[in-house]
Amino acid sequence: MILLTVVLFSSCIGEEEYDNSPQGNFDALWTIIDEKYCFLDYKGINWDSIYTVYQKKLTPTMSDENLFEVLGDMLDELKDGHVNLYSSSDVARYWNWYEDYPRNFNEAIVEKYLGTDYRIAGGAKYTILDDNVGYIYYESFSNPIGNGNLNEILQYMAICDGIIIDVRNNGGGNLSNSSTLASRFTNEKVLTGYIRHKTGKGHSDFSDPEPIYLEPSKQIRWQKKVVVLTNRHAYSATNDFVNSMRYLPLVTTVGDQTGGGSGMPFSSELPNGWSVRYSASPHFDAEMNQIEFGIEPDVTVNMEKNDEDKGIDTIIETARKLIKN
Amino acid sequence: MRATLYGVGYSNVYDTYLSPQEYKGMDFRVTRETMRMTTLFDGNVSAQNFFQANLSYTHNRADNNNTFAGLVNWNYGLHYQFRITENFKLLAGGLADFNGGFVYNLRNTNNPASAKAYINLDASGMAIWHVKVKNVPLTLRYQLNVPVAGVLFSPNYGQSYYEIFTLGNSDGVVRFTSLHNQPAFRQMLSVDFPVGSSKLRMSYVCDIQQSDVNEIQTHIYSHVFMVGFVKDLYRIKNKKGAPLPPSVRAY
Repeated sequence: MILLTVVLFSSCIGEEEYDNSPQGNFDALWTIIDEKYCFLDYKGINWDSIYTVYQKKLTPTMSDENLFEVLGDMLDELKDGHVNLYSSSDVARYWNWYEDYPRNFNEAIVEKYLGTDYRIAGGAKYTILDDNVGYIYYESFSNPIGNGNLNEILQYMAICDGIIIDVRNNGGGNLSNSSTLASRFTNEKVLTGYIRHKTGKGHSDFSDPEPIYLEPSKQIRWQKKVVVLTNRHAYSATNDFVNSMRYLPLVTTVGDQTGGGSGMPFSSELPNGWSVRYSASPHFDAEMNQIEFGIEPDVTVNMEKNDEDKGIDTIIETARKLIKN
Repeated sequence: MRATLYGVGYSNVYDTYLSPQEYKGMDFRVTRETMRMTTLFDGNVSAQNFFQANLSYTHNRADNNNTFAGLVNWNYGLHYQFRITENFKLLAGGLADFNGGFVYNLRNTNNPASAKAYINLDASGMAIWHVKVKNVPLTLRYQLNVPVAGVLFSPNYGQSYYEIFTLGNSDGVVRFTSLHNQPAFRQMLSVDFPVGSSKLRMSYVCDIQQSDVNEIQTHIYSHVFMVGFVKDLYRIKNKKGAPLPPSVRAY
C-alpha cells in the first residue's frame, strides 16, 4: 500500500502548459492542429514549414489584434470552412469555398417562388408550384425537422409529380436532421459513405473506415422523382445530405458543386481564451473518396443573368423540367 | 455506523478530449457511508458501503469559459480488522468501486462533453483511533483507496460520440485499466466528536482521479472539506448498558 501510494503521488497526468504570450498562444494553436486536424496529409500541407513561416511574424510585444491576424492567416493555409479562431472581437474564417464562386442563389427570387402563403414545418418552408411540383426550401440543418413535420409535408405533396428540395445556401448543422430527411426517399438500406477518426497524434493515425448506412424511414416515404438543388454554399451537414441523396435511384442533383466540409469539427482553446474549431473526423463517400472539397451535381446548371433579371431561377426551372419529363 | 456529510471544496478538471487546459473552481459534494461488522473470519471483517456524488463548476485560465463536471461514486468493500490496541486498529481489504459521470464544456460544439464511466477493484486501507482529549472522546480515521484493476469507457482519440452512439462504432472504447494508465486514489481524514447527544464528523476528502487512455489524458483533483452527523447503528450493549468497546465495533 505504501509503495502504491508513492507511485501514485509521482504519477501526475496534467496539462502541457503554454505561456499566455504571443509565442505561447502560437505554439498552442500550432500543436492543436498538428495533433488533431484530420486533413493535413490529404491536403498535402507541410505543417512544420508553416510553423517556420508564421513564427517569424511574431513579436513579444505584438497586440492581440496583430496576433489574431497572424494566427488567422496560419489557419487559412488549411483551406477549410470548418476551421475558425474565435476571439471576443472577431472570427477568423476561410470562406473562399463559396466566396470565390458564382452564388447561384437569389433569396428574393426564391421568395417569389414560395409566394406569401407558403407553409413552414420545422426548418422547412414549402409550397406547391403552379405546375404541380412540390418545392421545399431548407435553409439550415441546424433547424430541426421532425418525423411529424415530414409526414405533414409529404402528405400535402402527395398529389405532386415530384419534389424539389432546395438546400442551396444551407451551411449545415445537425447530421441527424440530414439523415432524418434523406430517410424519406429510400425503400432500402443504402451504403452512403464511411467515417474515420484519428487514433493518435500522427498525421496519418486513423481508424479503419466505419460504414455509414442510410436506413429507410418506417413512416411515409416518397416514391416519385426528387431533385436536390445545390450550390457552393451547401456545406457540412448539407454536403452529407447531398452525398446521401445522390445514391438514391429517384434522386437527381442539380445546380453547382457543393462547398464540401466533410470533416466533423471539434473545439479546443488557447491559453488566452480564444476558441478554435478544426476538422477532426473525416467523412467519405461510398467509394471512399474524400468529399471535403464538395460534390459535383448530376446536372450542372448556373443561374443565368437574363433569367435572374426577370425574376426567374434557372436552377429551379431546370429541376421543374426534369420532374415533368 | 452511518454518516451523511456535505462539503464544499476545490476542483481541478482536465480532459484533453475537451480542452488542453485545466479548469479550476468549486466542488460541491455529498457522501453517505455505513460500516458494519460481518460474521466473516470469526467476526473480524467489516463491510463498508460508501456513496458520494459531486458537482463542480470550473473555469479556464482566461476565465472566459466554464465546465460542469459531476460524478457519482459507489464503493462496497470488506476490510479485515487488525486490532492493535483496545482503541487503535488497522483495516485492510478491497472495494468494488463504481463511477459514472460527465464533464460538460459550455463552449465546445461537436465535442461538448466527456462521459465518465469506470469500474475498479480497489485496494483499501484504514486506520481508526479512539482517543480522549480533555475528556472529550474523539474518533480519528484515515482511509486510502487505490484502484488496482478495472475497466474504463473512453472515446478513441479523435472519435465523436456521434460515431460511437449513432453509428454504433464502439471498437476500443472500453479499456482495461491499472496503475499504469489510471493512477488514482481517494483518501479521507475525519474526526468524530460529540455535540450534545449527537456525534459530529468533520472530514477532508482528497479525491485524485486520473487516466491516460486512448491518448486522452484526464484528471479531476478535488479537495473537499465536509461536515455531517454520525449515527451509531449497533444495538448490542453490555450489562451496564454501555456501548461495546471500539475494538469489537466496526468503527
